[in-house]
Amino acid sequence: IKLISDAGFQGEITSISTAAQQIEVFSRILKTSVGQYSESNDDDRQKHIQECARMICHGQHTFVYSEVLLNVLSQEPKGGPSIKRLSQEITRHAIQSGHNVTAIIMGLNGSAAHPRASQALSSMLSRNALNPADITNLYKLYSATDPPPVELIRLPQFMELLLDSLFKPGVKLNPEHKSKYNYLLAYAASVAEVYKKNQRKNTNRDELKATMQALEKAHQVCTTAKGSTELIAELGTLYQYIRFPVVSMGVFRWVEATVLEPSYFKLSTEHTPVHLALLDEVAAVNPLLHPNILDLLVRLFESRQDELEILVQLEMRKMLLDRMVNLLTRGYVVPIVKYIKQCWQRGDTDISLIRYFVTEVLESIAPPYTSEFVQLFLPMVENEEITGTMRGDGDSDLVSDFIVYCKANYVVVS
Amino acid sequence: MASHRETDTSLWLHNKLGISTDSWAGGSICSQLNPEVLKNIQECFVELQTQVKLKFLLSFFQFSRRNLEEWKTELEEILEVAVVDGDPWVAMVAEILKTYPATGALNMEIGSATDEYTRKIFNDLANDLRKLVKKHGETGMLPLECPYLNKTALFTVVGQQSHPIKHFTLKRKPKSAALRAELLQKSTDAQNNLKKN
Repeated sequence: IKLISDAGFQGEITSISTAAQQIEVFSRILKTSVGQYSESNDDDRQKHIQECARMICHGQHTFVYSEVLLNVLSQEPKGGPSIKRLSQEITRHAIQSGHNVTAIIMGLNGSAAHPRASQALSSMLSRNALNPADITNLYKLYSATDPPPVELIRLPQFMELLLDSLFKPGVKLNPEHKSKYNYLLAYAASVAEVYKKNQRKNTNRDELKATMQALEKAHQVCTTAKGSTELIAELGTLYQYIRFPVVSMGVFRWVEATVLEPSYFKLSTEHTPVHLALLDEVAAVNPLLHPNILDLLVRLFESRQDELEILVQLEMRKMLLDRMVNLLTRGYVVPIVKYIKQCWQRGDTDISLIRYFVTEVLESIAPPYTSEFVQLFLPMVENEEITGTMRGDGDSDLVSDFIVYCKANYVVVS
Repeated sequence: MASHRETDTSLWLHNKLGISTDSWAGGSICSQLNPEVLKNIQECFVELQTQVKLKFLLSFFQFSRRNLEEWKTELEEILEVAVVDGDPWVAMVAEILKTYPATGALNMEIGSATDEYTRKIFNDLANDLRKLVKKHGETGMLPLECPYLNKTALFTVVGQQSHPIKHFTLKRKPKSAALRAELLQKSTDAQNNLKKN
């Protein structure tokens, strides 16, 4: 193995258990893998994350070593955040594989200097569940005059647990403690600290109160609104509070759990169910959630809805395409056009749906276009099967206009 | 020549930790440790199998804060032996754990490790990757906590974000805009109805 590695064929070493025996060999594979992640584009990044995570989580020693390395690299001002994300994804993979990595994570994040906060967090993270006693301890620490660094409670695992406890349907929170959960989540989301030479110079809590109120109100609507009529009445309120990113996360979580219920579309009577209309608003205010929204829409688009009549199914999918077009106009362009193109090329999607998407997009956009967009979108516009019926006899229609414009202004690689 | 006590400890550790090759599956030995046993472990450490050494060091993560403090001296003595171990993995893991018993934090200063080989392995890798990370600094993903954060907080975490690419000009609002207006109107009507009732 060492000889293969020395000769530079890291990619050929497929048995990680053999490679992990020698630190030198493992380090080279790690370098290749982190390098692939750093160089990757949106399309294959997830694949590289998964491969990297699988390799690093092979053993506890490989995990500890790699996490220390990634932690050091994540301090780089340029590119550091992306490495931090990789490290978080690997931690998530380890947790999902059933490993308890809490002590290691707490040993890496600077929490050792704050033993009380660290203990409360460790106890919840290692069980992957919140409890009122530890939450109360953290609440006391973070509402005191000299609170621990906000970064400690900005752990993704902890924020996810807080968000779930407030927005996941069916979770019952003790009313007496609810405000503390709320406070901690709002604190993590809103407090801005300024550091100079590793010393905290300023803790800005200006937005804490408003964020808390927004969370509280949105939580109330999401946990009490039973039917769509009640929800409609509260829609104005929700739109107002969704502007806080953490609320948009909560609403997204709630919508996701609701619409993925198998009978959701069967029971729905409106053309666009209110829950899905809420996704449009989330897309408008929180661009960082665009990938999650598309992921949910794709799951719904591809879900079997055998209990609905064929025509109703088509209408439902068109309604989902409307959501995708909205997401596209909000700036999430390439992944959506790529997805639809993939549906077309796979040949498993009714062509009328592809046509519907192409029409909606053509009706919304005007030049100048990026070359990347043209390369992706033009083949669908040119395709006779998709747009044949949309072309008029005269010179001017959306399809012909787009094709003529692109041919005149771009070099199209076929 | 190892004493009886050391042989016993060594045998016990092999039985407890040497069976599985999976380094995640650490046998739980914490309840059977005390300063005396730890002293024995230190004395027989060099002779243990690599796998047993690694698993023993990694079992530190299962110790409570109180145990770590209580056994600090003994654990640090074992780490002193382990950082210059002949097996590079053992030396690396020991170096990472060097500060753990005293502070609960992992050692991030591997670049100035006691053992020359450990230092070199880590620095070579970190330096190579640092260049790559800087080169691709503009692209890539944001940390998982970012979608939760208010603008001001987000700025303190990742700085100013570049604007997304504009792939086209928008000439008409999508259908969702009309739907939004319609729903808001319904919402106001519903609120009014509720008030009336």
